[in-house]
Amino acid sequence: MSNSTHYAPVHCKATDCGAFALTGADTCWAHLADREGWCAKLGDLDLNAAWLAGIDLSGRNLSGWDLRSARLSGACLKDADLAGADLRDTFLDGADLRGTNFTSANLEFAILGGADASGARFIDANLQRANLVGLRAHNADFTGADLYYARPGNADLEGAHFHNAKIQRTIFRRANLKDADLTGAEGSANFENANLEGVAR
Amino acid sequence: MIFRHFLVDVNESNTFLIGCEETREAMLVDLGEWDPAIPAFLEVQKLRLAAIFITHDHYDHTDGLRAALEHHEAEVYSGKGCVGGQQGTRVTQDDSIAIGALRCRVALTPGHTPEGISLVAPGMVFTGDALFAGSVGGTSSPDNAKRQLSYIRDQIFTLPGDYEIHPGHGPSSTVAVEREKNPFFN
Repeated sequence: MSNSTHYAPVHCKATDCGAFALTGADTCWAHLADREGWCAKLGDLDLNAAWLAGIDLSGRNLSGWDLRSARLSGACLKDADLAGADLRDTFLDGADLRGTNFTSANLEFAILGGADASGARFIDANLQRANLVGLRAHNADFTGADLYYARPGNADLEGAHFHNAKIQRTIFRRANLKDADLTGAEGSANFENANLEGVAR
Repeated sequence: MIFRHFLVDVNESNTFLIGCEETREAMLVDLGEWDPAIPAFLEVQKLRLAAIFITHDHYDHTDGLRAALEHHEAEVYSGKGCVGGQQGTRVTQDDSIAIGALRCRVALTPGHTPEGISLVAPGMVFTGDALFAGSVGGTSSPDNAKRQLSYIRDQIFTLPGDYEIHPGHGPSSTVAVEREKNPFFN
């Protein structure tokens, strides 16, 4: 359940820009003059339900951060460390999550639809009821993750590892699970029209 | 704009609250159960429950109505008028509902039920059981299934891609994700 109470992004002050301004700034990421300065103070802001669409935090250490209900749509978090982060209800749609570390993160109800999480680590993460629609996650590691009622429909999960994951009610409809590792995965999932070629079970 | 998501026990259905920061008026979208967290939130935020919008007349979206109306004088909006045994106001395509300064619009999305409706609010749309993340609602016939997909294309997928979709069950999504990745459309 989200704790967010306010949801009122304001428009970027740049002329003719239709995007919303970032939380703690008066412009969007594209028009932000002092990106390093803004990033430096980010850890001091209340980021619950923050507007952070399109930002680039690649490679940064964000472990344990509280980003519940934040809007990180289209953000670049490539190789960032989000281990143990609170990402419940967080929008990560279309984000670059390649190589991102989500170990033990809480992603319940998070929206990762259309994102690229190839090589990302979701080890022991809570992905209950997460939106993984159209997620690309080649060789991602979901070992021990809880995917109860998660929705990876149309996801490209080639070579992904689901060893000992919980997949009760997970909806893999039309997902590509070619060469995925489902050994030890527990629960009854929906594999309707999924590609199960080479899957280890 | 105030926004809050509640997950209630009945069929794991979602209830959403939107509210106006200026007037402190609030509206609930679907109410499968009068979960104690809902009145607690209204009290803490000093909100007045002005309206309840019901996307369709199924128990897991209406069973909390009676208890809510015992404590609040809220207008009930639905596609039928009478829902969950409670009399309310019937709304249809493009009808406007105001909650303080918030302006919302009704969009028809039948198929799962004949009177199914969605609510378009600033930056988001509440789709009930018509459209879920990666799925659509169950229907009673192939004709109703086609009808549902057609209405979703016309009423939901024509909204801006960054609009949030908040369905009756499961996680939220965006118009762009569902338009481009939902297996029922791609």
